[in-house]
Amino acid sequence: MKVTFKIWRQEGPDDKGAIRAYEVDGLTEDMSFLEALDHLNELLVLKDEKVIAFEYDCREGICGQCGVFINGRAHGPHDNMTTCQLHMRSFKDGDTIVVEPWRAASFPVIKDLIVDRSAFDRIIEQGAFISSKTGTAPEANAIPIPKEVSDRAMDAAACIGCGACVATCKNSSAALFTSAKINHLNGLPQGRAEEHKRVAEMTYQMEIEGFGSCTFTGACEVECPEGISIINIAEMNARVTKSKVFG
Amino acid sequence: MALNQLFFRKTIIAATGLFLCIFLVVHLSANCILLLPEETARSLYNSYSTTLRESPLIKIVAYLLYLSIILHVVFALLITIANRKAKPQKYVMNSSRENSTWTSQNMGLIGTMILLFIVVHLANFWARIKLGMGDAVGLDAAGNVDVYEVTSSLFHNIYYVIFYTVLAIPLALHLHHGFKSAFKTLGFYHKKGLRIVAKIALVYAIVMGVGFGIIPFIVYSK
Ligand code: HEM
Ligand code: SF4
Ligand code: FES
Repeated sequence: MKVTFKIWRQEGPDDKGAIRAYEVDGLTEDMSFLEALDHLNELLVLKDEKVIAFEYDCREGICGQCGVFINGRAHGPHDNMTTCQLHMRSFKDGDTIVVEPWRAASFPVIKDLIVDRSAFDRIIEQGAFISSKTGTAPEANAIPIPKEVSDRAMDAAACIGCGACVATCKNSSAALFTSAKINHLNGLPQGRAEEHKRVAEMTYQMEIEGFGSCTFTGACEVECPEGISIINIAEMNARVTKSKVFG
Repeated sequence: MALNQLFFRKTIIAATGLFLCIFLVVHLSANCILLLPEETARSLYNSYSTTLRESPLIKIVAYLLYLSIILHVVFALLITIANRKAKPQKYVMNSSRENSTWTSQNMGLIGTMILLFIVVHLANFWARIKLGMGDAVGLDAAGNVDVYEVTSSLFHNIYYVIFYTVLAIPLALHLHHGFKSAFKTLGFYHKKGLRIVAKIALVYAIVMGVGFGIIPFIVYSK
């Protein structure tokens, strides 16, 4: 299988960057998308050219490192999937595949396809944790939690911090990510003690980091590899109001 | 904790937007009078309009309405600018059609078309009737200001008919997305409830779009 990659190359944060085309032969449909990029990088090494910088860790859809924009979609043509789970069989022989880094003022490019997502870490630092010492795991039934409450918290907790929501959002809003983190903890009894402080500080950090406001285009929940529902954002909005009144 | 602009601005847009949505229902209902036979329509519409103009309560509502439009537009402008700043570099290739509607991606543009409409609309009616600009408006048989005549003469000009009808399209699009979005902005997060809201939004947008779009044509062909 042969494709033309058009890939964003950028030396560093201050470089202007541009798209460069690479014709790559010898691919198979069974290769993952990242393996195809590995293959291209091997060819570049043989030609003594600089390899394309891209991020990954687990390659099994759980770490959230591998985010890139492929043919105009976060993580490629499929809904709700990470880049590492994408395979070349999703493309046709002879296709042109455009690969770009996440675009957002709050996610500056470090090199090529790698962006700095530490803005997410700083949102987490504002309150996506519980400050009390928890010791060893308590007896499972010590704190009874209704099934639907725990299900919703676990669904929200599935967020892997990949940044696809920000990348795909025309406003670079971090609302899906932040709402997932907030609802995960605020929905559970363990998180309740700090609920208002958590909401106020984490959402305020979104603003400080320069993320935009959510206008509910709904693109994020389509691209989110964990299928985090946009209803989480509405719930976060309700929690913001609640924190203003009771916080 | 400082004011959170991300939420404050959206909340103002949503609250004023929903208020405007209610206003549109009242406005369209009243406009349906125009569909009655000529003389009935004239006397009913004029007496309705006189009642409104003379009511102190309506005066308050009218000021609320002006305020809502201004706040809605100003804050819409502010978030549109801030949101663009949050994404300074666009993608070389962006297939946003595959994950969201065109309307949801272009609310600022669509809103600007509606703003254009509102300006022309106010010049056509409000400026003439309330501010007395342009040709003087006469009285009907009952001694009420003949607002019907203003409407009817305007809509016998085909260019205005086309303008009003075409601009009902962005209105419908704006309402379809805006109505759904406003509920979520204001923190309504009931899953089934939101599905019902989405259905109401569709019906509401169609009724408003078709209603406002078709009345000028009917008046034209009378
Ligand atoms: C009859 C007049 C109008 C009505 C009934 C209306 C209604 C609404 C509603 C309900 C929303 C949703 C708020 C939310 O997302 O939470 C909205 C959003 C918005 N409106 Fe309007 N609007 C009107 C006129 C305008 C005008 C004249 C403009 C622009 C100049 C405008 C620009 C916007 C923008 C930019 C948004 C936010 C967009 C987004 O959520 O993506 N609107 N409007
Ligand atoms: S909400 Fe989804 S898209 Fe956003 S960071 Fe979390 S996993 Fe990625
Ligand atoms: S590499 Fe870990 S999610 Fe893709």
